[in-house]
Amino acid sequence: MARPVNPHAMTPSRPGRTRTAPPQAPSGWYTQPRMLRYLLFDATGIVYLLVGFVALRVVWALGSGDAAWAELQRQLQNPLYIAFHALALVSVVFVAVRFFRLFPKSQPAHIGPAKPPPQPLILAGLYAAWIGVTLVVTAVLAGWVL
Amino acid sequence: MKHLLLKLEPLIWLLFGQGILIGTMLLTGWILVVGLLAPLGIVPPDALTFARAHDLGSSLLGRLFLLALLVLPLWKGAHHVRSLSIDYGGVNRDAAVATLMYGVAAVGSLLAIVAVIRL
Amino acid sequence: MSEKKTFVITRFDPDKDQAPRQQTYEVPVQPDWKVLDALNYIKDEIDPTLSHRWSCRMAVCGSCGMMVDGKPSLTCKDALSDYGDKVEVAPLANFPIVRDLVVELEGFLEKLSSVKPYILRAKERALEEGTHRQSPAQLEEFKQFSYCINCMLCYSACPVVANEPEFLGPAAIALGHRYNMDSRDEGQHERNEVFRGEGTVFSCSYANECSEVCPKHVDPAAAINQAKFNAVIDWLTGFVTSPRGGK
Repeated sequence: MARPVNPHAMTPSRPGRTRTAPPQAPSGWYTQPRMLRYLLFDATGIVYLLVGFVALRVVWALGSGDAAWAELQRQLQNPLYIAFHALALVSVVFVAVRFFRLFPKSQPAHIGPAKPPPQPLILAGLYAAWIGVTLVVTAVLAGWVL
Repeated sequence: MKHLLLKLEPLIWLLFGQGILIGTMLLTGWILVVGLLAPLGIVPPDALTFARAHDLGSSLLGRLFLLALLVLPLWKGAHHVRSLSIDYGGVNRDAAVATLMYGVAAVGSLLAIVAVIRL
Repeated sequence: MSEKKTFVITRFDPDKDQAPRQQTYEVPVQPDWKVLDALNYIKDEIDPTLSHRWSCRMAVCGSCGMMVDGKPSLTCKDALSDYGDKVEVAPLANFPIVRDLVVELEGFLEKLSSVKPYILRAKERALEEGTHRQSPAQLEEFKQFSYCINCMLCYSACPVVANEPEFLGPAAIALGHRYNMDSRDEGQHERNEVFRGEGTVFSCSYANECSEVCPKHVDPAAAINQAKFNAVIDWLTGFVTSPRGGK
């Protein structure tokens, strides 16, 4: 079973000597688990945009004075905002895990004289940095330090 | 427009890459505290009083942190929404979608700069 | 007494058929057969009109790529015992279909030649200077990417190839990158301009499907994303070397 893709996919600039049938793909292509995970990865873009604009609201309120800040804190307690941020947290973790898996092999063998560290070291470094930065940010924002 | 997009693509990719890398790292703690622990009361209310939050945010390090937090995820988001549009057959509308998404990210970035400066 | 499997095979005769259709064959299979053996049995014993490409039978020529049960596969490499009683065979996804299981390859060959997959030198090395010298460490930087057999399974797996006709695609970029990383080559700037052109490497959204299906473990996704880095560096240095702006 097949479904169409872009009708010009892999089509040469000049037609061949015989008539060809348009390119197609397996009908279940986009519902295979690995493909779904990739599409989900792209879909987290929507969450990142929204998180960015919510964060903008937060910082804007911070620059607008006491009352605006208190009002925004109150709004963030709305269950919809809580649900959104829970989804955002899951998205961010999902992105991190997938990206960290794919990042080490994407480093070129050298840039000028500089060479990257071995891939397992890069992977460990990414996780260490993520956990470290998260701990620091959490500790500072939650008032445990400073 | 398509030609301009091609010319700017390396820059957009850099912003997108940092959006994933740095943006994700900064966002995790932010979402955890500002989005969940504080509104749910798990973190005591005196952690994010206006005075404390403003002090932290208006410090040099605070401003840099907030700038990165506000700007970088927008470019990751914009680029991936554009990718999603292509994944679902949107190559003919790509120039329009890309202009819209990167435009949104650019406007958001400008607003972010203003928001951080006026702290 | 051999086992029987049912094969549902895409057929298309451009002179007779409006669109591709499916035809079913019952094939007595041997336990050690690959998918290709069954296809050759069909052509030899049941239906001589079936058209399919194959050559080396040992996964080095890249001719026999097809979709088997919806996944891109080298039919000479995949054991039939890995599949159930009903096997669907279709031509490679994302390519125009010439006839039955044969796809149009010219589109790929155009993309491949556009990345100039050969050593480019500013000035040809004089014969008296002898051969190029390359250390094993230098070889390691691109060796993996040179294993590509142009089987095109990666193109069938790639969602960007399916949706963006201009995209250079995994194998072409991997092979261009192979030459960019070759210490003997001096054509990086030329190739990076192609990489930033219409077929732009930045269209790759890192689905990683290409690397999942590659039968020779070339890892084209790694090559493409390394190529993005290099293309950006080339773009940035372009502003330094030609101040009126890199291309």
